Amino acid sequence: MPKPQLILRDAPGETHLLLGNEAIARGIIEAGVGVMATYPGTPSSEIADTLSAVAKDAGLYMEYSTNEIVATEVAAGAAMSGVRSAVAMKHVGLNVAADAFMTLAYTGVRAGMLVVSADDPYAFSSQNEQDNRRYALLSGVPMLEPSNPQEAKDMVLHGLELSESLELPCLMRTTTRVNHVRGPVKFGAIRKPKLEGGFLKDVQRFVMVPAHARVRHRVLLEKMRAAKDLSESSPYNRVVREGTELGIITSGAAYNYVMDAVEAMKVDAGVLKLGMTHPLPERLIGEFASQFDEVLVVEELEPYLETQTRSIAKEYAPKTKIYGKLNAELLPRLEELSTALVVQALSRLLGRETPVNFEEINQKYREATRRLPPRPPVMCPGCPHRASFYAIKKATGRKVVCTTDIGCYALGIQPPLRVGDALICMGASLGLACGISKATNSRTVAVVGDSTFFHAAIPGLINAAYNKHKITVAVLDNETTAMTGDQPHPGTGITGMGVPGKRILIEEVAKACGADYVKVVNPFNLKEATETFKEALQVDGVSVVVFRQPCRLLVVRKARKEGKKLPVAVVTDDCTNCKTCIEDFGCPAFYIKDGAILIDPLLCTGCMVCVQVCPYGAIKAERREAE
Amino acid sequence: MKTEIVVSGVGGQGVLLLAETLGTAAVLSGLDVRVSEIHGMAQRGGSVVCHIRMGEKIYSPTVMEGQADAIVALEPLEALRVIRYASEKTTVLMNTRPIAPAIVVMGAAKYPDMEVILDAIRRFTTDIIEVDAVEIAEKAGSPIAANMVMLGALASTGKLPTPKENVEKAIENLVPERYKEINIKAFQMGMEAAKKQST
Repeated sequence: MPKPQLILRDAPGETHLLLGNEAIARGIIEAGVGVMATYPGTPSSEIADTLSAVAKDAGLYMEYSTNEIVATEVAAGAAMSGVRSAVAMKHVGLNVAADAFMTLAYTGVRAGMLVVSADDPYAFSSQNEQDNRRYALLSGVPMLEPSNPQEAKDMVLHGLELSESLELPCLMRTTTRVNHVRGPVKFGAIRKPKLEGGFLKDVQRFVMVPAHARVRHRVLLEKMRAAKDLSESSPYNRVVREGTELGIITSGAAYNYVMDAVEAMKVDAGVLKLGMTHPLPERLIGEFASQFDEVLVVEELEPYLETQTRSIAKEYAPKTKIYGKLNAELLPRLEELSTALVVQALSRLLGRETPVNFEEINQKYREATRRLPPRPPVMCPGCPHRASFYAIKKATGRKVVCTTDIGCYALGIQPPLRVGDALICMGASLGLACGISKATNSRTVAVVGDSTFFHAAIPGLINAAYNKHKITVAVLDNETTAMTGDQPHPGTGITGMGVPGKRILIEEVAKACGADYVKVVNPFNLKEATETFKEALQVDGVSVVVFRQPCRLLVVRKARKEGKKLPVAVVTDDCTNCKTCIEDFGCPAFYIKDGAILIDPLLCTGCMVCVQVCPYGAIKAERREAE
Repeated sequence: MKTEIVVSGVGGQGVLLLAETLGTAAVLSGLDVRVSEIHGMAQRGGSVVCHIRMGEKIYSPTVMEGQADAIVALEPLEALRVIRYASEKTTVLMNTRPIAPAIVVMGAAKYPDMEVILDAIRRFTTDIIEVDAVEIAEKAGSPIAANMVMLGALASTGKLPTPKENVEKAIENLVPERYKEINIKAFQMGMEAAKKQST
């Protein structure tokens, strides 16, 4: 994360290297946004994290909300009250927020409101590859698509102005290769945040009962017509390259690949870059297309621009052939694009050779890496989830179906632990477990994390208790939102402003939701954790076991800060080489050298769970020598 | 003129810091630059890859196959994993210290012999600089600074469009005060070590 003083530097004209997400945060500060809300999710997290670190000094309010719909509602409430607001989430977060988002387009807002949706083509760290540009079509709100960090920052300011002129929230759709790309960003002036507004009552506008909704739907359609005019003249929708041979229409990160591919293939192509992609500038696209015999639409994931361009071309350029994903399948609808993919599309379309023989490289690469062992992400050494999964595995004897959820603990599916049989979205572990339990007539385990519990598991838990489902819920509570970078949540009691809020205890919530059995255990006490979980599996009704132990990364960081040394586990001469520690437990600090099992002291974080796992008592804790 | 670099390694080795340092050095040198990172799942001890492209004007944040001027690998297997970005013009700088993936530790796969890895790399380029970055970093004061040793090795190749002083300034900008000295020392020792090997 950049130094807070950098992000807050009131130095217009200076250029600094910023991550796309930091650039968006800077834009939010420059725009004088008063209220920022989020639920963290890769690749969006650093937007809010950057702001959380500086919120107090910047004079803006920032909160980690319990989930994306609440975050959206918080930001909407502020914008309805005349305070500029922003909300950031990953693409699937907008599914959670969709209920509010859709009808918010009817009520609209009074001050600017920016909704950042960070899509993840290739699903680097997501459960799907959905293309959220379709949410703009679905809802009717205007949408911007930046292609690099500088544009991302600039578009925050532009988006808030658009939002204010249309009195609609503005969607900013980014992708991983914008959020997680660093580039030079030229700073603008900082506007002092306005934090105080006033809610002017207007029942017909803000209370969406049917009679009002019908009227507001009409208002939305009128706004969309106005938005189309803005799109035609938008500074972000323009021909950035003149050419005669071929027309290319593109947006977002795909634009970067287009510019490099056109150069690599030496194509005399005209390039229309679209930055405001909802509503689309029909006339601009139509007139551009009419200049060419062939137009290639280059975009990531769904043929969002392509389908609309085809229907626009029917009217404006009936003789022009439109290519992309649908026609001739020149570009894939899967995963992310690259310069190579665009080069190959141009090669196929124009019948010209590529400057690089990709087939040869790929063939050579396949041969060279044939026996390359994969290195997927694993749970860290000392991760409390490993201990929890070990206890769950021992207690269930692998005979029970375990649904799992979104977080680091999804890594529990890997060998040797292999806990997790179904995973779809935040909080789904509980509902799925209810259905599986009903359909299989057997007790089902739901594994869910602490932050996910607050986010989406509570309705599922109430449902389980109310409908008397036979499920056992394992809440893996590491007292942070670990996967996305250690954001606080209600269970930590710390807020986005870095001050104490009210701490909400999972066990109390579980009891209040009607669970028949609720216990809290320390997973580092393996025996107690295993016995408790066994007992929970026997309960007639809904049982909840909270495995509480802080994320080891936090423990290590704290120890380092305080100058304390964590103990280290050491394999003794009693080792029989049974490999239970490696083949059953699987801590990455273990390794084998010349047939002997050893623990890497640089990796060991001293959780001492392996000491309890070893059937021969051949691992002991030692104090770490001071350096 | 563009300079394209791929940095690879294992989560926790400081791949991201190395890449950010290069990006910062580029901005200090008045160049356009893109540094592409992958966060989240990749960081839990998994493979991590960063792309850095710098020059007058940069569009794509990622390197095209065969186009890297240099590959900096903090771990031998991870050098091979990104070798599709190499061609004869590429210098591969490789930290020779292996880290066994979980699957190898569990005995379900074998870590290839170093000669096998080098032979596979040689099919793409013969310009390989091997550095025992951990040993050098230990001499500089901490094994964690192996990433800065490799950055030094990269700087010694003359492939960077940024002066060495700007790389050092970038390190100073990014590294916490108490680790500055170790990191600068590791960077300089990495430069020396690579120079010796290439002459």
